[in-house]
Amino acid sequence: MFPGPSAKCARLGHFLFLRSLTTEATCAVTRTPTLPVKQATRPQKSDKTSISTAIVLNRAPILTRSSTPFETAYYSYQARIRRALHNPFPYDFYFKQGTLIETRFNLEERKRERLAFGPAFLSKEDVSEEKRAADIAAVEQLAQQEGEGEVLMPRTHPSDTSGDVRSLDRKGQRNLYLLLHVLENGKETWRFPLGKVEKGQFLHQAAQKDLYAECGDEMDTWVVGKAPIGVYKPRQTSAEAQQASEIVFLFKAHIMAGQVKPQGDHIEDFAWLTKEEIKMRVHSHYWDGIKDILSDH
Amino acid sequence: MSMQVASQAARHSLTRFQRAPKITRKLRRHPKTGLPTPHVKIVTREFAPSRLEEHYHTTLKDDLMYMTYKHEIGERPPPRQIRMTFDPEDPYSKYRHNAPVGGSQFHKKPAPSSSPDNVVRLEKIQLHTMVKEAVANKSQLLSAIMQMKALTGETFQGGGHHAVEGIQIVRAKKSVGGWIRPNVPVGVKVDLKGQAMYDFLGTLVEFVLPRLRDFNGIILPPQSSSIKTPSSVSGVVSFGLPPSALVFFPQIEVNVDAYPKLAGMHIHFVTNAIGVGAQDRARALVSGFQIPFLRR
Repeated sequence: MFPGPSAKCARLGHFLFLRSLTTEATCAVTRTPTLPVKQATRPQKSDKTSISTAIVLNRAPILTRSSTPFETAYYSYQARIRRALHNPFPYDFYFKQGTLIETRFNLEERKRERLAFGPAFLSKEDVSEEKRAADIAAVEQLAQQEGEGEVLMPRTHPSDTSGDVRSLDRKGQRNLYLLLHVLENGKETWRFPLGKVEKGQFLHQAAQKDLYAECGDEMDTWVVGKAPIGVYKPRQTSAEAQQASEIVFLFKAHIMAGQVKPQGDHIEDFAWLTKEEIKMRVHSHYWDGIKDILSDH
Repeated sequence: MSMQVASQAARHSLTRFQRAPKITRKLRRHPKTGLPTPHVKIVTREFAPSRLEEHYHTTLKDDLMYMTYKHEIGERPPPRQIRMTFDPEDPYSKYRHNAPVGGSQFHKKPAPSSSPDNVVRLEKIQLHTMVKEAVANKSQLLSAIMQMKALTGETFQGGGHHAVEGIQIVRAKKSVGGWIRPNVPVGVKVDLKGQAMYDFLGTLVEFVLPRLRDFNGIILPPQSSSIKTPSSVSGVVSFGLPPSALVFFPQIEVNVDAYPKLAGMHIHFVTNAIGVGAQDRARALVSGFQIPFLRR
C-alpha cells in the first residue's frame, strides 16, 4: 500500500530522533566529573532534529549539444567512409524514371558527393547546358511549392545575449537548475526551494508541497521518484545545534511548463542557472553539499 | 567578407578532404568479385550525433537511477542452497541430467544491486515479422525483406562490423501437422543497435505513433497479474504494429505502391535489466523515450 522508499525515509527520520536520544544518554554518562576532557571534544547533540526538503528543480536540455571541431571532423570522416562504401542505391525501386522527384534527388546527390569528396571527384554529366538549367529551375519551383527553405531557429536565444537568468529558454544545450535569492534572518543567500516537513508527511509529498509554497503553482512539475537524491546538513553554530539540529533532504524535479512565481516576501529573486553559475552564487559549504548532484552537461 | 571566407575554409578543412590521398601500393583484387580491396580493414562508426542517445545520457540516466535505486544495508544473504534431484556423487547420476529440486527458479532471480554501471539502458531493438503465406510460397517473403531493408537499412556485416547480421530469415523449428515443416522460411527479423537503434526509435516516436488513430499506448497487464513470470524478469518490452501502421514510416511512405503487401511487425525493446521487476524498469526506460503505456 505505502510506497516503499518514502516509508523508508519516514522511518529514517524516526531513527534520527532515536539516535539523538541515545546520543544524549551517552552524553549524560560522559558528563560525570571523571571525564571532563571527553566532554569538551564531543559536542552535545540536541534532542530535536528539524527535517526539511529542498527541491532541485531542473530544466533538461532543449537543444542537442553542438559538436566540437574534433567531433565535426570525426563525423564527417565517418560519413565519407559510409558514402564511399554504401551499397548501390536502388533508383528504380524508389523513383519512376524521368520524374521530377528523381531529377531533384540526382541533383541533391551530386551536391552531397561534391561536398564529401571535393569538386574533382565527380565526372561530368552528359546533359546539355539548357537541359541542366531547366532541371534546376524545375526543382527550384518544386521546392517553392513545397514551402522549403524556411530558416531554422537560431541556437542562441535572445535571453542568452541579454543575460536574462530568469528565462527558461536560456542555455538550451545545458541542464538548468532553479535557485532562489532569499532574505532570511537578515542574511541574503541563494538556495534551492526549501520547506519544513510536517509530522506524518511523506518526504516526497512534502517536497512537492514545499515547491508550490515557495514558487507558486503556475507551473507543471514532476518530482522524480519517491526517495531523496541527496542529503545536506547546514552549517550551524553550536548554540543553534543545541537547540535543534537541521537536516535537508534533496529531491530532483523536472519543470515541464509554466514559470516560477515567487510566493512570500522573503524571496527577492529567482534564477535558472547552470552548474558553474550556481558555484559563483552559493556559499562554499552549500556548494560542497550539492555539487555532486548537479549535471556537468 | 574575408572572415566569412576564413570560417568557410575552416569548416571545409574539417568536413572534406582537400585532395584524395595518393595510392602508392597496388590494391589487391578480391578473388571472387575482382573488386579492389583496401589494405586495411575499414570499420564505420557513428557518423552524426544521436539526439536520443544524448537525451538518455543527460536526462534519462539520472532519473532512472533515482527511480530504480534500491537501498541495501550490509551484504546480501547467501543464495539458497540448491539441492539436486539425484545425488550428484552417485556414479549412476553423475553425468546424467540432474535438475535442481523445485525447478530453475528463474522467476525468482534477484535483481543485481543498484550501481552506476547497471542503470537500465537500451541494448537493442528487434523488429520481427512472420508472413503466413510464405509457408506455401517463399517468394512472399520478398516484400517483408524489402520492407525491413527500407525501414532499417541494415545489411549483413554492414559497415565492416562482423557482429551485424543484417536482415535475417527466420525458419520454422517444429513440424505442425498439415501446416508447417522444419526449416521452412516463415519470417524476417532485424536487430538494431547503437545509432541505427536510436534513429529507428526517433522515427517511430515522432512520425508513426502520433499518426495512429487507434493506438493510445502499449497495453499494460492487469495489476493482479503475476510478477513472477519469466517475461517479467527479463527486461524486454514488446508490442506490435499492424500493416496499416507501416505506411506512416517515412521510409515506406515515399513509395508504398512498390510493396505488393505490407506485413505488420513486432517490436521488442531489449534492455539490460534482469531479475525481479526487470520489466517494470524496462518500461520506465522506454516511456522516457516517449512511448506511451496504457492500463486497461
